[in-house]
Amino acid sequence: MNSPPEPPPAAEQQAARAVVSDADLLTRHIAGDPHAFSEIVKRHRDRMWAVALRTLGDPDEAADAVQDAFVSAYRKAESFRGEAAVTTWLHRIVVNACLDRMRRKSVRPVADDELIEAAERETPVPDQTAEREVSMEVSSALRLLPADQRAALVLVDMMGYSVEDAAHVLQVPSGTVKSRCARGRAKLVPILSHLRNRSDLSRVSSAKGAELRDG
Amino acid sequence: MTGDTHYDLEILAELAEGLLDAATALQVREHLAICDPCGESLADLAAVREVLSATPTPAMPMGVALRIDRALAAEAESFRGGGVGLVEAPAWDDIMRDAPWETEPAPLPEPEPVTRLGVVGDDGTVVPVTPVRRRRTGARRRWALPAAAAGVAAAVIGATVVTTSMLSASGPGADPPMTLPLLAEGSKYQLTESNWNYTDQALRGSMLDYIGPMDATGTVRSSKLDQCVNRLTAEVGTAPFAVDQGFYNGQEANIMVFWHNQPKNQVLVHVVGPECDEVRKPGFARWK
Repeated sequence: MNSPPEPPPAAEQQAARAVVSDADLLTRHIAGDPHAFSEIVKRHRDRMWAVALRTLGDPDEAADAVQDAFVSAYRKAESFRGEAAVTTWLHRIVVNACLDRMRRKSVRPVADDELIEAAERETPVPDQTAEREVSMEVSSALRLLPADQRAALVLVDMMGYSVEDAAHVLQVPSGTVKSRCARGRAKLVPILSHLRNRSDLSRVSSAKGAELRDG
Repeated sequence: MTGDTHYDLEILAELAEGLLDAATALQVREHLAICDPCGESLADLAAVREVLSATPTPAMPMGVALRIDRALAAEAESFRGGGVGLVEAPAWDDIMRDAPWETEPAPLPEPEPVTRLGVVGDDGTVVPVTPVRRRRTGARRRWALPAAAAGVAAAVIGATVVTTSMLSASGPGADPPMTLPLLAEGSKYQLTESNWNYTDQALRGSMLDYIGPMDATGTVRSSKLDQCVNRLTAEVGTAPFAVDQGFYNGQEANIMVFWHNQPKNQVLVHVVGPECDEVRKPGFARWK
C-alpha cells in the first residue's frame, strides 16, 4: 500500500525522520524499543482513523475500533509477515476490528439526531457547511450497505487505494473487491444522486460514461 | 437489448469494473450507444465514485490519539517482563507535541544488527531475541562531586521547569550538540552506577535511597553521556547534580537528577535511554 492519492498532512512533517521504515520500526518494537510502536502509530493514525470512521460512520465506534486495532497490532507484532507492507497489515487489523463491531451490532438502527451529532463531531469547522452536509449524507448512505461492500468502497473510492491494495487488506481476490464495489455503487446511486447536482460532477461523469460507452 | 428494456445499475457497475465477459460487455455497450437513460445511469455510477472520493476525511481528533496512547501504555505495563514493550509509551510526547517550546524529539537510535533484534523462524515469523546489554565497561567509573557543583545547581532554586525550558530551548531544528552551550568545565555531576532497576514508583520517592551518598572514587566519563547531560542541561535550564546509570523498567537508562527546589528537597528526574532518548515523562521526586 504505497501509493495513497494524498499522503496525510502529518507525513510531511515526519518526512525528516521517516528514514526508518515501518518494517524496521516494527522489528525494533519486537526487540523491546519502547518508542518504535508509538512512531508507527503517529505515522498512520490519521489514515486508520479515516478508514474506521468511514466504515463505521460513528466517531465513538471508530475510536473504539482504532484503539482495539492498535492494541491488537501492538500485541501481535511478532506475527507480522514480511511479505505484506506494514500499512497493509495495519489496515487489515483496523478493517477487521470495524467489521467485528459491525457484526456484533448488526443493523443497528440509527436515529437522525445521532447522525447529525456524529457529523458535527467529525467536522467541527463551522464554515464548511456544504462539505459537512455531504459528509453526513455519505456516512448515512454507507450505513445502508452490507459490511463487505462498505469496507470495499471505503478503501477504494474514499481512501483512493488501488483494487489490488484493497484486496490485500481485505484478503479476498481483486475480482471480489471489484464486484463488491460495483454492487455497493449501484445501491448508492438512488441515495446519493441528488448530491450530483450540487457539484460540477455531472460533466466529469458524462465524460467517463462516454469513455466506457465507446469502449 | 434495445427498446424499452434497460440494464440495471448493477450490470452497468460491473461493466465499469470490467467484470462482464466480453460478449455481454459488447452487448451492453451497444445498448448504451442508443439508450440515453442507461447512459445517465452509468454517469450516476461514476458520480457516486466522485462524491465518495470528494468526501473529506478528517484527521484523528487529539482526544482519540491520546486515548490510544494511554491504551498502549497500559498494554506496555501489562507486558512488562515479557518480550515486547517493556517501557511505558510516552503519551506526553503527544500532549506536548504542538507546544511552542517543544524541541525536535531525539532521533531514533541507529539501526541495530538484525541478529540482535530477532531471528526469522522456519515459518517466516520474526522471533525476538533478548536485547543484549550494550554498555561498555570502560565508562563505568565513579566521579567525585566537587563542592562547587552543589553551588551551581543551587543557583537556580525557585525557577520553574517550564520557564527555564522556554528560555533555553531555542526552538525546533536546533542541533543540540552543535548549538547548545557545553557543560562548563567546572560543573560536574555525581555519576554513579547503581544498576538499580527503577520503576515509576521508585522515581517518585527519595532518590538518595537509590543513588546513595556521593562517593570519592572519581574518573573520566564517556563523552556520549556528557553530550547527553549537556543536552538535558540546556533543556532543563540547569545541570543535573546526580546521574545514575541503571535501568528503567528493565531497559538500560540513565537517571538524571536536577534540583527543582533544594530547600524543599524537590528534584526533577529525567530518565534517558542509551541514545539520550527520554524514556519517561520527566517527573518530580524527593532527594532525601
